Amino acid sequence: MLSEYPATKRPCSEAGNPGGDPADTACALWLNNEYTVAEAGRLPELQVHLSLVERLRQVTAVRKGCVVLILALIWQAYAMLLENELMFPTFSSALFALYDALVQGELLRAVGTSLRVLAAAYAVGVVAAGLLTVLALTSRFGSDLLETCTGMFNLLPAIALLPLALLWFGLGYPSIMFVIVHSVTWPMTLNIYSGFTGVSNTLRMVGRNYALSPPAFLFKILIPAALPQILTGLKVGWAFSWRTLIASELVFGVSSGSGGIGWFIYEKKNQLDIPFVFAGLITIIAIGLLVENLIFNVLEAKTIRKWGMQS
Amino acid sequence: MHTSASPEISPFLEVRNLTLQYTTPQYLVTATWNVGFQVSSFDRLILLGPSGCGKSTILKAIGGFIKPAGGEIRLQGKLVTKPGSDRGMVFQEFDQLLPWKTALENIVFAVTSARRIPRRQALEEAREWLHKVNLTAFADAYPHELSGGMKQRAAIARCLATNSPLILMDEPFASLDALSRSAMQEELLRLWEENRRTLIFVTHSIDEALILGTRIILFSPHPGQVRAEFTSVRRNVGQSLRGRELRERIEYLLFQDRVDYAI
Ligand SMILES: Nc1ncnc2c1ncn2[C@@H]1O[C@H](COP(=O)(O)OP(=O)(O)O)[C@@H](O)[C@H]1O
Ligand SMILES: [Mg+2]
Repeated sequence: MLSEYPATKRPCSEAGNPGGDPADTACALWLNNEYTVAEAGRLPELQVHLSLVERLRQVTAVRKGCVVLILALIWQAYAMLLENELMFPTFSSALFALYDALVQGELLRAVGTSLRVLAAAYAVGVVAAGLLTVLALTSRFGSDLLETCTGMFNLLPAIALLPLALLWFGLGYPSIMFVIVHSVTWPMTLNIYSGFTGVSNTLRMVGRNYALSPPAFLFKILIPAALPQILTGLKVGWAFSWRTLIASELVFGVSSGSGGIGWFIYEKKNQLDIPFVFAGLITIIAIGLLVENLIFNVLEAKTIRKWGMQS
Repeated sequence: MHTSASPEISPFLEVRNLTLQYTTPQYLVTATWNVGFQVSSFDRLILLGPSGCGKSTILKAIGGFIKPAGGEIRLQGKLVTKPGSDRGMVFQEFDQLLPWKTALENIVFAVTSARRIPRRQALEEAREWLHKVNLTAFADAYPHELSGGMKQRAAIARCLATNSPLILMDEPFASLDALSRSAMQEELLRLWEENRRTLIFVTHSIDEALILGTRIILFSPHPGQVRAEFTSVRRNVGQSLRGRELRERIEYLLFQDRVDYAI
């Protein structure tokens, strides 16, 4: 039967099915031509290095840095035209003020005070969110409690609690702690909890297949699987708490003479040292950027982005 | 280990009068009704049936993930009540590998959790299994860097590495393209020849059932009931005349109800 066709023009199905059933060749195809493909050495280079300029343009930080530079130049030009150092100082005088404040240590002390309070309140908030979530995962009452509380308190801006905090804890850092804990706990709880409940049923069954103990199941399956939302929760919590901290310090941030960065700004305004006010604002932005880029972005890059759990 | 009912040695796996139900907020859904079959050691048993007839549900019940509403499942005479590593599961979904672990670490995790052996030994065995499924080059790749077929191969390696005597596979090749699918079927048969276990394999493809199975249980549409039982005579039976008859018979049994409905 094969002799009916030239060697290269043979029905494919027959070639793969010698002596096959006639029904299998009912829709035979002819092999008309075969081609050889180019070998690796004769193909164009598969990976070519981009030039330095090209590569720099790929770096977001470089591009964004340029935007900041342009905005700073506009600020400088406008302030120089305005010539009103009291209402709107130039960018350069804000930078000099920043330098002065840093060298004198005044600003660093204020930042230190702020960050210490923040860290304590943040830690309390994280622990509270974790406990609430565990409670919610283990009991129906717990999940009802969590959903009700987050639903209500998420709507309550932290600043709205300031008068009450003042009444309960007086002027000073206990009040600020109270307000920040409130601002961190609810969004963080919401994110962590929705992360846990969103873990796919397949992954849960994989964990149960190995008969893991409840703590092992929590730490080896649930937490890593929910990590994208947990990190989002931590990030949102940080953003909320940082803003709340500054705002509440502006209102009553002083205790035994050492105020935070919000208090620094408030004081400088009272002394009409306006370049220092701007220096304080720049510091707030700088710290915010530093934490987001250095801590959270690195954390994300090393975990969920590396694992393909977030695009 | 004898069942109280029968004096002879109990079969490897026995499913008796199994009724499985889901409770949804509005309904009580009966997925399978009064299903019974037996599995002997080293069978490659195929559960074949139309989509939605409750094949996955049965498999999950055997895995211990779903409690029966009626009837029972006995593995080597022992009542199945909860999941355990004596039954390894491969799912249809590509997301069954832990995305935060590399292919190698996924297997190591399974081996250390299921068999509680030291990490050094687990690593060694995991490498061997990766080699057996041709994934050595991808040992350190994370699941999202693997193709669909590679993920399923890693999942199969992970399942076999736990040394479970019973392997449960729920349409593991259903979302693969036709070429990888038939390659994977060959590979599964080869692995099974090298390392024999009892396999229960769910599919809705008659071809796949005929290629992979030594026995086939055919289910009626929803709610699933056993419609027929087949024992194939030899491999590649789909090509032989006997195979063609078998296929036609299966097709008739599968689609008969639908024709009746149309009339
Ligand atoms: N989690 C669930 N809740 C409610 N009903 C379900 C659930 N899972 C499956 N079912 C129903 O049970 C029946 C059998 O489903 P399944 O076992 O997944 O079928 P198969 O795997 O054979 O396609 C279907 O009718 C489906 O709608
Ligand atoms: Mg299914």
